[in-house]
Amino acid sequence: MMRGAWTVAWKDFRVLVASPMFLMVAGLCACIWSYNFLPQIFQFERYAARAFQSGGGLNIHQTLFASHLARVNIILIFAIPALTMRLLAEEKKLRTYDLLLTVPITAAEISLGKFLAAFGAGLALISISFLYPLITLAFADFSLGPLMTSYLGMALIMGIYVAVGLFASSVTESVVLAVVMALILNLALWFLGQAAEMTDQPEMVKVLEHISVPQQFVNFMKGTLKVSSLLFFASAAAFFVFLTERVVESSRWR
Amino acid sequence: MIEVRDLTKNYGDRTAIDRLNFSVSKGEVVGFLGPNGAGKSTTMKIITGYMAPTSGIVKVAGFDVFESPIEVKRRIGYLPETPPVYMDMFVQDYLKYVARLRGVASGNLNSMVDAALEKTNLQDVRKRLIHNLSKGYRQRVGLAQALVADPEILILDEPTVGLDPKQVAEMRKLIHSLKGQHTIVLSTHILPEVQASCERIIIINRGRIVAEDSLAGLSKRMSGGQKLVVRVRRPSSRLEKGLGDVAGVHQLRAEGNVLQIDVDGAEDTTEAVANLIVAEGAGLLEMKSTSMDLEDIFIQLTSELGSAQPTGGAL
Repeated sequence: MMRGAWTVAWKDFRVLVASPMFLMVAGLCACIWSYNFLPQIFQFERYAARAFQSGGGLNIHQTLFASHLARVNIILIFAIPALTMRLLAEEKKLRTYDLLLTVPITAAEISLGKFLAAFGAGLALISISFLYPLITLAFADFSLGPLMTSYLGMALIMGIYVAVGLFASSVTESVVLAVVMALILNLALWFLGQAAEMTDQPEMVKVLEHISVPQQFVNFMKGTLKVSSLLFFASAAAFFVFLTERVVESSRWR
Repeated sequence: MIEVRDLTKNYGDRTAIDRLNFSVSKGEVVGFLGPNGAGKSTTMKIITGYMAPTSGIVKVAGFDVFESPIEVKRRIGYLPETPPVYMDMFVQDYLKYVARLRGVASGNLNSMVDAALEKTNLQDVRKRLIHNLSKGYRQRVGLAQALVADPEILILDEPTVGLDPKQVAEMRKLIHSLKGQHTIVLSTHILPEVQASCERIIIINRGRIVAEDSLAGLSKRMSGGQKLVVRVRRPSSRLEKGLGDVAGVHQLRAEGNVLQIDVDGAEDTTEAVANLIVAEGAGLLEMKSTSMDLEDIFIQLTSELGSAQPTGGAL
């Protein structure tokens, strides 16, 4: 059952990371992160020195890395749709979709394979962003735990963006539309939790805070792994992969 | 091998195919013949499990297409109208990818790909980017893709469309060489195409089967059917009526001063037609006899049978 998914995933991953588009996206990401990270280090150094003089200290995870991850996230919201836009939309446009639908693999394998391919490419982007905190390790001493959980959280959130982008790509033949749709959905996901401020009902507030991506992410940044947060991120991604599977399967009975 | 019962497909209000019934037995080469938009592609797509019918049953090797699509897809190699090739892949890598998708075991992968390359004569371009291949080669890569897992059934949707005459001849030769190894269903709107490759022909028009016959049967119909194209100076309804009464004349169509007359092909008939035109003083300018082309056969078949009566059996 899984063989079809791996076949699709491996081929699409290779095509994706070898594409000029991926190299450009990765290059631009690196530029932006570098541009931001360097001044942030100097700023952190100044603040930390001041805090030290007054007898305190500064948490590098909550300041320097938190703001770095915030920027990683912002960039991913825009960069991931660029990676996912072609996954299914272009197959439809170039009629290679006919091939996928007439070989003996299921819609679930197609969707999962496509997801894994783009998730792999997304991990490559995240690895680039991981270099910055890693290099900081050369001249600052800090515990790696919270950094690892933060990056685990980041990878899971990236998984949601990939699933959303895959879904957007599955419902249209136009890559432009796929990008725009994925972007809007990603941003909506990020701001969903803000609706908590619009209601007074305690139950509603609880629900909205639970489905808020930034709220859940805070846990990871603190270095804590909550099963509910892990499940939330995984199920959000699984939900959009499932929707994609439905869309692919639906072409059989439409 | 393939059984189609009461197959109907509607796109919204439009009926693409209407209660099709036919079957293809093992090892047969069947041609689907019909004008563009007749429902050939739709029928083929349903057989391959690409889309579902509105109603009706399709069984491939005993498996219902809708209920066990994977089993059906395992047995079919399909070449769609547009070859489903990835432009940014190498021929060899592409075929390996498709072979894996079609469930070829890893150990056999290389030998299967080599066999497909050999059958389709693509060894020279195996390391070329598909993007850089000509249309004819891409079409062949498409065929290699359908062949790569050595399926029992090959379904080829207009395999020669858009190719130049030389490429068409090569493609036909290729299909011909596959006879006996696979059950083949191919569609086309070009008559010589089916003559070159098929043993049995299903003619389909506006979603209905208008004729189903062996090649020999159809050839007989065709050799008997000839057409006279006559250009006269002064066409008149009296002349038309007179020509219609000549023995051996099946049908007559007038477009301006050109008359198209379907005749039985006997020399007597041709002579009688010529005599009559001269006797009427219509001013004969040109008269030539041509064999009937596909268009004429359609017109004949549809008018003979009426559009309401799809026939299942041989004519």
